[in-house]
Amino acid sequence: MYPLERLLNLVALLLEARTPLTFDQIRATLRGAYTQEDRASAKRQFERDKDTLRAIGIPVEVAFTDGFEVDEGYVIRKDRYYLPDLSFTPEEAAALFVAANAPGGEGDAAQAFRKLALGIDAGVGALLDAPAPAGVDASGPHLEAVAEAVAGRRRIRFRYQPAEGEAGEREVDAWALVFRRGSWYLAGLDHLRGEPRSFRLSRMESGVRDQGPGSEPPQGWDAGALLAAGPWGLGEPDRTARVAFSPKVAWWATAGIPEARTIRIREDGWTEAEVPAASSDSFVSWVLSFGPDAEVLSPEDLREAVIRGLEVVRGSV
Amino acid sequence: MARSRARRASASRTEDRLRRLLAIVPYVVRNPGARIDEVSRLFGVPETALTQDLNLLFLTGLPPYTPADLIEVEIEGGRVWIRMAEHFARPVRLTRPEARALYLRGSELLGAPGLPEAEALRSALDKLAGSLGPDSLGELQVEVGEAPAGEVGHLETVREAAARRERLEIDYYSGSRDEVTTRRIDPEHVFSAIGNWYVVAWDHRSDAERLFRVDRIRAARPSGERFEPRGLLGQGRELYTPTGEDIRVRLRVGPGARWIAEYYAVEEATEGRDGVLELTLPTRDLAWMAKLILRLGGQAEILEPPELRDLVRRAAEETLSRYR
Repeated sequence: MYPLERLLNLVALLLEARTPLTFDQIRATLRGAYTQEDRASAKRQFERDKDTLRAIGIPVEVAFTDGFEVDEGYVIRKDRYYLPDLSFTPEEAAALFVAANAPGGEGDAAQAFRKLALGIDAGVGALLDAPAPAGVDASGPHLEAVAEAVAGRRRIRFRYQPAEGEAGEREVDAWALVFRRGSWYLAGLDHLRGEPRSFRLSRMESGVRDQGPGSEPPQGWDAGALLAAGPWGLGEPDRTARVAFSPKVAWWATAGIPEARTIRIREDGWTEAEVPAASSDSFVSWVLSFGPDAEVLSPEDLREAVIRGLEVVRGSV
Repeated sequence: MARSRARRASASRTEDRLRRLLAIVPYVVRNPGARIDEVSRLFGVPETALTQDLNLLFLTGLPPYTPADLIEVEIEGGRVWIRMAEHFARPVRLTRPEARALYLRGSELLGAPGLPEAEALRSALDKLAGSLGPDSLGELQVEVGEAPAGEVGHLETVREAAARRERLEIDYYSGSRDEVTTRRIDPEHVFSAIGNWYVVAWDHRSDAERLFRVDRIRAARPSGERFEPRGLLGQGRELYTPTGEDIRVRLRVGPGARWIAEYYAVEEATEGRDGVLELTLPTRDLAWMAKLILRLGGQAEILEPPELRDLVRRAAEETLSRYR
């Protein structure tokens, strides 16, 4: 008998059993299985099978076979085995398919989608012929472990290289995961500083070590607000600047900025746009990345900050 | 030792097949006469392996295992029917890693700019989280930053061309060369990384593999010609592939500019004192590097090559002239 055949029969038997079955009952009922003469080795094989089932998420439970609580048996409770009914519109299914089948998404996400596939109203034929799956390259090696910690509200330790300063050990109560501008961040209580902080997963230099139960975030705590964007973005926008872009870059310069607004196209071909600006260095850095193809028109202090930046660079080379 | 390793390997194959079958059976029970090729693609299993598994299925059932108690599998004309499998008519719940993986992948995709499926994806993830409940996702709190709204230029055209394996003609602005060129490309993969969309393609202009940023494609025209994929690497690849002709730029950067080490392909990085980092960046073109140094605002000292200093000085002066 094939192991697969034995396992399928075992799942069916335990799912349909009205009361928990003892090993001896299973051995006597399950066709062609656990037939070793030696009961101990038959039991060992059964134990391995049970572990296999649990490993793939099948809830094999141990319970008393009756109200006298003498013999223990095994059972799979239907309400804990079956996936609740879930139905998706064709658009939702297509979107999930893209997410699950992103290249590199083989494995758990793809398997999850397959289980959900029968909840798709229109069948999957059209889905399989839909436009190319588009992937996102962001997960990195630590995402799964950090998600586990957040899900269980654990306290974790890891080595961290901050954007500025020296690398060191951090101990953090994991509260939330935030995905922002293409990167994952952990937000939580940083025990080194005694206050909530965010940590970019790509800057974690070691694996995550569990330190036991963590804490609950305060009521109304906002993980998103904790994060300030890095110097490659626009920073946290708190006001608006007017910037002129040369024709060479104007068509893409503001494409990734939802709040940007085109004001006018000048006679010299340059485009003037309103762009959200942080007072931090990040806005200046962003404008400078266009070199001579961008000019800050207002406000005056940001214009001056750009000029100062350019003079510093000129003086340093 | 060798035997136990072999046993473990075969046990894990059995595990995979069981996991797969317990998802396939409900699907076929609910979709009687499902096409075998479709099932095979959906579940990512070759048709021969699928048929093999289905053939084993009708040996199984419930006690007392008379022919009337066994699962019925009928395969005919490329289609499959499964009956007498009421106990397997619904799939197993998602395991925690499965639920979490799908949820996190979906969240990443939501955070990518200009994805047309974003709205549908958001509602699908809400349904998923709502019905799976704390059992699967635990206290997992995930926030996705607002993705830039609006379209990313020609993202849809590029995705469709990659799906159809259709050659495209594009007008592309190259940041490193600071010019717009027209080229014919064979797009193989489209993916989002560090907040941008990229397309991996064979570029007929340079007769080489190239990575293009989708938001820098000014125009994209489908050519009507098909191409044979060359098996280029997609997602997960390095965003910059160094070549033998690269110029090696060496910089010493202060703490405020360390981020470039994780944003760009750095060949070598040596930690100095006070958070100073010495790094080597390979580049095809110095004009782009000059702009990078401009934006670092004095946080980067150029060690090599000396001509980069002249370029940076000229770029700084040209930009300053706008402000006078």
